[in-house]
Amino acid sequence: MLFSSIPFLYYFLPAVILTYFFLPMAVKLLLKPLCKRDGLADKLCLKLRNAILLVSSLVFYGWGEPKLLTLMVFTIVLFYGCGLAIGWCKRTLFRRLWLIVSIVISVALLGFFKYADFFVDTFNSVTGLSIPLLRLALPVGISFYTFQCLSYTIDVYRGNVASQKDPISFGAYVALFPQLIAGPIVRYIDVARELDSRTHSWDGIALGLRRFLMGLAKKVIIADNFALLMKLFRESDQPSVLFYWMYAIAFMLNIYFDFSGYSDMAIGLGRVFGFNFIENFNYPYLSKSVAEFWRRWHMSLGSWFRDYIYIPLGGNRVSKARWFLNTLTVWALTGLWHGAAWNFVLWGLMFAALLLIEKFVPALQKLPSFFRHVYVLFLIMISFVLFNAESLTQAGTDIIGLFGLTGAPLVTKETLYYLGSYAVLFVMGILGATPLVKNTGLRLNQTKVGAIMEPLVLIILLLICTGYLVDGSFSPFLYFRF
Amino acid sequence: MDNKKIRAIGAAVLAVLWVGLTFFSWFGPAKELSTSERRPLKQMPAITMESILDGSFMKDFEGFTLDQFPLRDTFRSIKALFHNYAMNQSDNNDLYISDGYIIKQEQPLDPASVEHALSRFQFVYEKHLKDKASNIYISLVPDKNFYQAEPSGHLSLDYATMFNMVKNRIPWAMYIDITDTLSLEDYYRTDTHWRQENLIPTAQKILAEMGAQGLKPEDFTTETLDKPFYGVYYGQAALPVKPDTIQMLHSAAIDQYKVYDCNEGKPVGSDLYDMSQLDSMDLYDVFLTGAKKGTMVIENPNGTPGKELIVFRDSYGSSIAPLLVSDYAKVTFIDIRQYNPAFPNPFLNAEGKDVLFLYSTLVLNASQELK
Repeated sequence: MLFSSIPFLYYFLPAVILTYFFLPMAVKLLLKPLCKRDGLADKLCLKLRNAILLVSSLVFYGWGEPKLLTLMVFTIVLFYGCGLAIGWCKRTLFRRLWLIVSIVISVALLGFFKYADFFVDTFNSVTGLSIPLLRLALPVGISFYTFQCLSYTIDVYRGNVASQKDPISFGAYVALFPQLIAGPIVRYIDVARELDSRTHSWDGIALGLRRFLMGLAKKVIIADNFALLMKLFRESDQPSVLFYWMYAIAFMLNIYFDFSGYSDMAIGLGRVFGFNFIENFNYPYLSKSVAEFWRRWHMSLGSWFRDYIYIPLGGNRVSKARWFLNTLTVWALTGLWHGAAWNFVLWGLMFAALLLIEKFVPALQKLPSFFRHVYVLFLIMISFVLFNAESLTQAGTDIIGLFGLTGAPLVTKETLYYLGSYAVLFVMGILGATPLVKNTGLRLNQTKVGAIMEPLVLIILLLICTGYLVDGSFSPFLYFRF
Repeated sequence: MDNKKIRAIGAAVLAVLWVGLTFFSWFGPAKELSTSERRPLKQMPAITMESILDGSFMKDFEGFTLDQFPLRDTFRSIKALFHNYAMNQSDNNDLYISDGYIIKQEQPLDPASVEHALSRFQFVYEKHLKDKASNIYISLVPDKNFYQAEPSGHLSLDYATMFNMVKNRIPWAMYIDITDTLSLEDYYRTDTHWRQENLIPTAQKILAEMGAQGLKPEDFTTETLDKPFYGVYYGQAALPVKPDTIQMLHSAAIDQYKVYDCNEGKPVGSDLYDMSQLDSMDLYDVFLTGAKKGTMVIENPNGTPGKELIVFRDSYGSSIAPLLVSDYAKVTFIDIRQYNPAFPNPFLNAEGKDVLFLYSTLVLNASQELK
C-alpha cells in the first residue's frame, strides 16, 4: 500500500489511528478497577497498542503482496529467536554463532529474492551459458527491514542493547508500517525505549500529521510531476541537449522529493504513534563536497554502512591499501543495496572514487564555495543519471547526451514547450531543496499570520494532494524497488 | 485571540475535513455512473480468499475507492485548476484550454498506428473495392489541435507527414484536402467533434471533388437541442468551461431521407437524428446514432437513380452524413471499428459506386480499433 493513495489516506490510516488510540483507552477504562498495581493498566495499554501496530503493519505489508507475509513473519521469528539466544548465551562462541545464523539466513534471503537473477545473468554473460532466470517478485522493503533486523542482532551481540523479550513488541518494531518499506532505517537501539514506554500527546499527533502532510505534498505535487517530465523525456523521439539536462535535473529533484517526502511521512507517522525516528535528509544539495553530500543524503543508510561494515572492516585506521579496499567494498555494497544491476555497482564505485579523490586532493576544499557547490551538484547529477538508467548503454547515452555528443539538436520546439510548462515546478523544486521554505515557516511561526497560515496551507495541501490522487496520477515510490 | 487558539481552530478544521472525507468514503452511497466521464464507476469488489491471495481484491478496492471518492469531480477540478494555474502547466492530462475550447494535445505522430490504419484501408480496397468501385476518394478530418497548436504555443503531431503517408500509401484513392474549409470555430468547445451546422463548406468541397451536386446553404435550417451538450473533453479536463449546444440541419431534401440500420442482417428503419439518444451520456449520438453502428444506409428519394456512394467513416462521418447524400440515391456508411471487413457484408457491394474514406487524424494516430 502506498502512503500517497486514497486507500491509505482515507481508509487504512484513519482506521489504524482510531483503533490505536480508542481501543486501548476503552480497555484501560475497563481494566483500571481490576488493576491494583500502579501503572499496570498503562503497561497493558501499551502492549495492546504494540499489538495493534503489529497487526496493522502486517495488513499494510500484506496488502500489496499477501503471499510474502510469510517471509515477513519468518524474518520476525528468526531475528526474535536469534536476539533472545544471543542475549541468553553467556559464551562468546555461542553468541557469535547465533549472530552468524541471523546474518547468514537474512543475507541469504535478501540475496535470493533480490540478487539471484543478477548473479545468474552475470554468470550467464561471463560463461556464455543460459541458465534460466528465477524472475522472483522482489519483496517490498526487504533491503530496509533486513538491515534494521541486522542492526538489532549485531547491537545485542555487541552488548549495546538488551534483547527484546516481548515478541509482539519486536514484531511491531520489524514490521512498523510507517518506515517498513522505504525507511529511514530505524535501528532497534534507537526505538527500544519507546517500544516499551512511550507517551502520546495532542502536540505530537499534530506535529506528526503536519510532517506527514508536508511529505505527502513533496511526493504528490513535486516528485510525481517531475516523474511525468522524465516519462516525457523517455518518450521523446528526438530529445535535445537541453532536454537531456532537464531530465537529469528533474531526476535529481524527483529522487530527492520522492525519497525525502517518504521519509517525512514516515517520521510524521512515527510521531503520531509516539516514536521519534531519526532524520534521513538534511538538504543534501547544499553540500560543498561529496563527503558532505553523504552526510546529508539518506543518513540512516550511510551511518548503517559506517557502523556495521566500514568500521568493523577497520575503517581508516588501517594501511592505505586496506583503507582503499574498505572504501571500495563499502561503496560497491552501497550501490548494490540500491539495486541488483551493474549501473548501481558503478554508481557506488563512482562515489568511492570521488571520496578518495577528495581525500587525496585537499586543494578541492580550498576552492571558492560557489565552485564547490557547482562541482558537487554536477557530479551528483551525473551519478543520478547513471543510477536511473535501465542499462549501462542507456546511462552512457544519457550522459553523453548532456554534452551534445549524441548528435541531438541543442534545443527543439518540444523542449522549449516542456521547459515553459515545467518552469514553475523547477523553481518550486530548487527552492524546496533549500531550507528557505522551512526557515520562512519558522520565522512566521510566532506571528499571527503564521498561526493562520499553517493550518490553511495544510488544508490546501491535503485538498490538492487528494485531487491529484483522485485524478489518478499514480506513481509508485522509487525506493520501493530497493 | 492568541496564536495557540488560532492554531487549534485550524487543526480542528483540518481534522474535521479529513474525518469527514473519511466518513463519506466509508459510508457514502456508491454511484453507478460518472456522467462527466461517460463510464460506469467501479463498485466494491467481493471479498474472497482467492481474490485476497492473488492481490486482485486490493487492486479492485483501490479502483473502487478512487471512483467512489466523495466530491470526486470537485477534487479533479481542484487538481486541474492547481495544475493549470498555480503550476502554470501548459496542459493537464494532455488537454488544454485555448480561446474557450478544450483541445487535446494529440502528439507525437505514431507512424505505426497510421501504418496500421492504412493497411486496414488497403485490405478493404483489395477485398471489396478493387476492380469494382468506380471512383475512390480519401479525406482526413483534422482535429482541433491542427488549428490551435501553433497559435497557442502547444505541440502537435506532424500532420504533413501523416497526410503524405496517406497520399503515398493509398495511390488508388484521390486525396481530398478539407483542412482549408475548417477552423477552430467549426468544432464543439467541449468535444472532439465538428459542428454539423458549420460543415456545409466542407461537404461542398468533398462533393465538388467527387463530381457530385453541390449544396446550397440557403436550403438549410437549424434545430437547436434545448439540452446542454457536455462533450467528451469536458469530463476529462475537469475545468470550468461552458457546455455546448447541438444544432441539427434540416432541409426539404434531408427531411425526406430514409435511414436504415443494417446491423442485424436486414435493414431496419432508423432516424437521421436519433432523439432517443437525448438521454444517453453522449448527445453527439443523435447524429446517425454516433459511431455505434457498423453499417447504416441513407436513401434519398430525390437522388439520381442508380448513383450510390459508400462511406468508410468514424464518428465524424455521423454528423456530416446528411450533407454527403446530395444527389446520390443511396449512401452506405460503414464503420470498420464496428464491422470487421474480413467478413461478408450484404450492404457492401461497391460495383460501379463511388467510395469515400473519411477518417479523423485522431483515429489514424490511435488506430488499434480499426478491424
